[in-house]
Amino acid sequence: MSETTAPAAPGPDREAEELFTELAGDRAGEWDRAGEIPRDVLRRLGARGLLCAQAPVVHGGLGYTSRRNGELTAHVGSLCSSLRSVMTSQGMAAWTLRRLGDAGQQADLVPRLTGGELAAVAFTEAEAGSDLSALATRLTRSGDEVVVDGAKVWTTNAAYADLLVVFGRTEDGVGAVVVPASAPGVRIERITDAHGCRAAGHADIRLDGVRVPADALLRGVDRSSALLVTTALSYGRMSVAWGCVGILRGCLTAAVRHAVGRKQFGTRLADHQLVARHLAELLIAEQNAARACEHASDLWDRGSPDLVTAVVLAKHVAATGAAAGSARAMQVLASAGAHDGHVVARAHRDAKLMEIIEGSSEICELILAQHAVATA
Amino acid sequence: MTTPSGRTDAVHTAGPLPSDEDIAAELLDFLAERTRTRWEPDQDLFAVGGMSSLFAMQLVVHLEQTHQIAISGADLMLDNFRTVEAMVRLVNKLRGSAPAPGSVGE
Repeated sequence: MSETTAPAAPGPDREAEELFTELAGDRAGEWDRAGEIPRDVLRRLGARGLLCAQAPVVHGGLGYTSRRNGELTAHVGSLCSSLRSVMTSQGMAAWTLRRLGDAGQQADLVPRLTGGELAAVAFTEAEAGSDLSALATRLTRSGDEVVVDGAKVWTTNAAYADLLVVFGRTEDGVGAVVVPASAPGVRIERITDAHGCRAAGHADIRLDGVRVPADALLRGVDRSSALLVTTALSYGRMSVAWGCVGILRGCLTAAVRHAVGRKQFGTRLADHQLVARHLAELLIAEQNAARACEHASDLWDRGSPDLVTAVVLAKHVAATGAAAGSARAMQVLASAGAHDGHVVARAHRDAKLMEIIEGSSEICELILAQHAVATA
Repeated sequence: MTTPSGRTDAVHTAGPLPSDEDIAAELLDFLAERTRTRWEPDQDLFAVGGMSSLFAMQLVVHLEQTHQIAISGADLMLDNFRTVEAMVRLVNKLRGSAPAPGSVGE
């Protein structure tokens, strides 16, 4: 919707892209090996509103359209999927606050995110992954407080977060509560051996008798988790999809550069037909993913109900494309790319995770099949 | 304005606020177009064999766009989209107030 979008600013934000390139371009490999992004980098980007650029101007945000935010997300994804994952989490937290919060909660909380505080959204539990109706975390009203008890796993950005948006079960159904990461009873256990997006701050979270003011419980509480979770995840899926476009762009650039620069059997790799096919397939995957994302974001920006399935389709096309494409890029670069920290080695690990999070490929296919059946 | 499906959005451009009947009729058309099925105003869309939670979100976005309202917080619950009658009540409740800034599908 246009009313909060910055006027006459529809194209990509080149200035922001340059800032991300300056901060992450040479350091993404180092962050991957260290498993950490320096906090000052995240604070600096967060305080400029760039980690959740779709947040509205009235809340201190940049008011980007989904399309513009998506192009920026793809740029960051081409540099560093860990940093892009932080953006996905921050953006999804801001979106969840705007959707599940009432006007007062939105006005209180969203400006904290656009002002540089970092936030994570905690859905997944040991027994509740794709099936979030099985959530066991309890949000219990106690006088003018809410008491939070539970255990979350694999929460992206939690290791950096100031605020945790925790989904759980209330007396009335399912809802989400905003918990300061510093609150007594919160324990953040960093995951140090993540397969991919190693610097994205993944952590398990223990919440033992954590007391927050009752107003920290977002007003959106429903008998079932379905609508709330679908709403919150839509942002995450769109962001992951654009991030995968970036993975493919990073891989395509690296693979072409290598294939043009290296000769074997007296011929450039790019002129070996079996290698050339990898380059073609990478280009096809990148273009497919980009078109699917552009379409979904444009529907989002027009307020079309078709956005709901288009986002799932874009996520699926982009994530499966990135997983297959990054494997091709590894094959082209071979030993030159087979080092931790290398853009292609990172892509290969990071892309696989994108087929798992925010709706696995199988869940996306189920949703798309249901859509096909319902509209046939 | 024109909706993404190309229909002229009579509900929003007619000037005076549409009646309950107009809101319901527009929704029944939307449902019929999307599901290839005619629904009754009091029929549970999410009963066994009915629509998915993804369809509920489509209804959220459709109502927001058609009536220029924002559906968030306590209003974002499945029961508000369970029947056409419930959606008419929700629209009536929300369209008096200005849309919350940037809330709608943006």
